Amino acid sequence: MNKLMVESINEYMDEIIERWTTRMKEEKGERFFHFMPDHLVDKTSREFAELMTSNIRETSSIDSDKINEFTEKIVRFGWAIKFVNKAIDNFSNVVFELLEEKDVITDENLRRFIVLFSSWINPLRESIIDAYSTEWERTVSLQKIALQELSASLIPVFEKISVMPLVGTIDTERAKLIMENLLEGVVSQRAEVVLLDITGVPVVDTMVAHHIIQAADAVRLVGAKCMLVGIRPEIAQTIVALGINLNEFTTKSTLQRGMQAALGMTNREIVEVNGQ
Amino acid sequence: MKTRIPILKLNEVLIVSIQWELDDQTAIQFQEDLLNKMHETSALGVVIDLTPIDFIDSFIAKVLGDVINMTGLMGAKVVITGIQPAVAITLIELGIRLNNVMTALDLENGLDKLTKELEA
Repeated sequence: MNKLMVESINEYMDEIIERWTTRMKEEKGERFFHFMPDHLVDKTSREFAELMTSNIRETSSIDSDKINEFTEKIVRFGWAIKFVNKAIDNFSNVVFELLEEKDVITDENLRRFIVLFSSWINPLRESIIDAYSTEWERTVSLQKIALQELSASLIPVFEKISVMPLVGTIDTERAKLIMENLLEGVVSQRAEVVLLDITGVPVVDTMVAHHIIQAADAVRLVGAKCMLVGIRPEIAQTIVALGINLNEFTTKSTLQRGMQAALGMTNREIVEVNGQ
Repeated sequence: MKTRIPILKLNEVLIVSIQWELDDQTAIQFQEDLLNKMHETSALGVVIDLTPIDFIDSFIAKVLGDVINMTGLMGAKVVITGIQPAVAITLIELGIRLNNVMTALDLENGLDKLTKELEA
């Protein structure tokens, strides 16, 4: 029975793939196929079909390497897991219908075929979805690391003056990282004034403000001054509307002004040179 | 014999360098010693250097805060220098903000600040 199914699937492979592709394209709200170039759709479909039939072909064990490789690819294409699930459903439906049309499945052996089908599709679906979610989690954690590497570095600008530009949303974890980098940086760079630039922070809520205030306090404890710069009009509005009290430390609208003030604090100023 | 924290006098300033983690007893002893010394010498400023300390508990932090307030009452200015990042984070997390205290990166900066403050 198993053999019969494998043979017929292999025989009608092209037709199965064609029908499956058409059906996937008809799926409502799924535009993944329309975004991709045709040859890529074709190649991926073929790979998918191969993967789908790989575990009924011989020893009926699932080739995990192949699945991992494939899921890595589809995660990169940005296919949703719902879509992948649908693809598996459609594939088994197409195969079933086709086999029925070709009279491989008849009324007598229908029951046995249904059992065969479920023992074929279910483990496959499980392992594909498992591999997919693993891959997805890996991608997310990689991006998280990339974001951490990008964020929160303290840059020495002048002697005794350092700047930390903050870009992106601040959550508790990042706030901790910011605080650590800030303090370590202040001590190692012997900064007297630190400018925290929040131009790139999209939202300042009470939580973010709380973290910033804590960081500023900690900076004061290690012996430097913290200045908040890059306060956009909408941020100023939210800060006041939320009733956050930032009176205790200096704030400036732009990094430029902050820098001037910082130079003033360290008894220096920018002078234009009247050269010829 | 308990160890005591040495308090040095330099012109009008007392310099204290805390070299090891304080236990509660030593902290209290230090508080008394410092206040007595201030009374004897009528110093105008105190610098407390915490550079070697990388851990502080809430009791020690409280004692430090108290010492600062007390010296303030006796008319002297206090600068704390060399607070390590880890200590700063602990203090902030404990809610100890040392609001009315001057801080500096190291002893040198601290003395500078104090001198400027005393001149003003």
